[in-house]
Amino acid sequence: MKSPWAMITAGAGAFDRWVKDPVDPRPLAWFRCWFGLLSLVNLWLLWPDMSMWLGNDGVLPPVVHRDMVGGTRLSIFMLTGYSDMAIGLIRGLSLVGGLGLVLGVFPRCAAACVWLAAVSYAWRNMDILHSGDNLIRIGAFFLIFARSDGALSLSRGVSRWLFPRADPDPAAPYKPVPAWPQRILQLQLCIIYLAAGIWKTMGPTWRNGTAVGLVLQLGEFQRFPIPDFFLTPLMSQVFTYGTLVFELGFPILIWIPRLRLPVLLAGLVFHAGLDWVMNVQLFQWQITAYYLLWLKPRRS
Amino acid sequence: MKTSRKPILPARDPAGLVRRAARHWQTVLVAVYALAAFSWAMPAVLFPPKAVIDGIVTRPFLLLGLWQGWDMFSPDPRTDDICVEMRYTDADGTVDRRMLTDMVAMDYVERWQKDRWRKYFNDHLRLDIERQLWQPFAEYAVRRLRMEGHDPVSIELVRWWRPSLPAVGPELRADVRLTPWNSYPFHRWGVPREWGR
Repeated sequence: MKSPWAMITAGAGAFDRWVKDPVDPRPLAWFRCWFGLLSLVNLWLLWPDMSMWLGNDGVLPPVVHRDMVGGTRLSIFMLTGYSDMAIGLIRGLSLVGGLGLVLGVFPRCAAACVWLAAVSYAWRNMDILHSGDNLIRIGAFFLIFARSDGALSLSRGVSRWLFPRADPDPAAPYKPVPAWPQRILQLQLCIIYLAAGIWKTMGPTWRNGTAVGLVLQLGEFQRFPIPDFFLTPLMSQVFTYGTLVFELGFPILIWIPRLRLPVLLAGLVFHAGLDWVMNVQLFQWQITAYYLLWLKPRRS
Repeated sequence: MKTSRKPILPARDPAGLVRRAARHWQTVLVAVYALAAFSWAMPAVLFPPKAVIDGIVTRPFLLLGLWQGWDMFSPDPRTDDICVEMRYTDADGTVDRRMLTDMVAMDYVERWQKDRWRKYFNDHLRLDIERQLWQPFAEYAVRRLRMEGHDPVSIELVRWWRPSLPAVGPELRADVRLTPWNSYPFHRWGVPREWGR
């Protein structure tokens, strides 16, 4: 029997290898493309109301905003001051960054643009933010450090087409890339579910099985119609406890290779269901981008 | 004759420790970030080291936009339907009203697009603790109404609410429920004639 110290050392060694061993570039590339596309959709949704949310003549004028914010945060407004020019810059950076991520053209710069735009509108009006904005800021930040153009990259495809001999090993199209940005984002997904599940266990309505029934009746979240059968106390209990089991189970079960795919498929069904019944804009879509990081591509 | 003395305890070598940590910087970074993000997202009562860890990571998390919260509908979902209305009186005495966040009355696309409206008006502007938002919104509304050709002399913000019962049943859905609404005007502003002109 191994001593506790030996087990800790072995665990730390396994974690070290998991973080440091290079990985197939495709999951990061899939994440980058889907994430970039959803960032563009987010921009499209935000665009018409930007002056109202972020402008000097909007709902939160500088004199009020100045009293509300504390601490230093990087943002475009550090450069422009309270100026409506920042709105144009946020739009431009989001657009260029989103396109760059989708196409895989200078993806690190593109991620930096999306991140800067996201932290800027978050700083200027925190009261309009939802969970999807967290996913954008965090995902874009770590994409800045990721080699995500190892696949699905327009610039890489063009350079391989123009200079086929420049590639040292054309038989191996996907060169392994550093793993740590992907590992951070994988852990981030586990933290999201774990924290969400733990928060819910503190609430009496989550413990007595009525929470989802309550949510389904709230007008402000109501979206597409659902069958009457779903609106019964029994189904409320099924959905409430099912949510707890999924959110608390995901961060554990995802580490078991044989269960990974079923867990991800269950997650897709879970979020598709939430997106059908609840109006929460892009969160359910954005979290699926993080799922792609857990996929293991077939060997090329 | 040469003698050598081996140290009984390994020498403390902070530089060596730093070098080892530097060799494994990716692992250290991933582990530290995971701990920091977990601590940030956790409720304080269930994670005692939160105060210490958050105290260390607050500045970098805020600076870099890595702050996060995953507590939607937690610990319990709201038990009220809510919306916010703006009423205005024109110079000719006409009174009109606009529901800012009546999500059920919107079509599917509009309610999807206006999710941030729900966030701003229902979750923040409506609340007494965020009263600093009331007057700026009233002023914004006057500017917008003037652009539309109106001449508002007063603005009133009204919160609406009605309880949603814990029992579930199809007849209790927000779009068919007959429970009466309550309302309360929480901010009034008589627009000075020369304001903003």
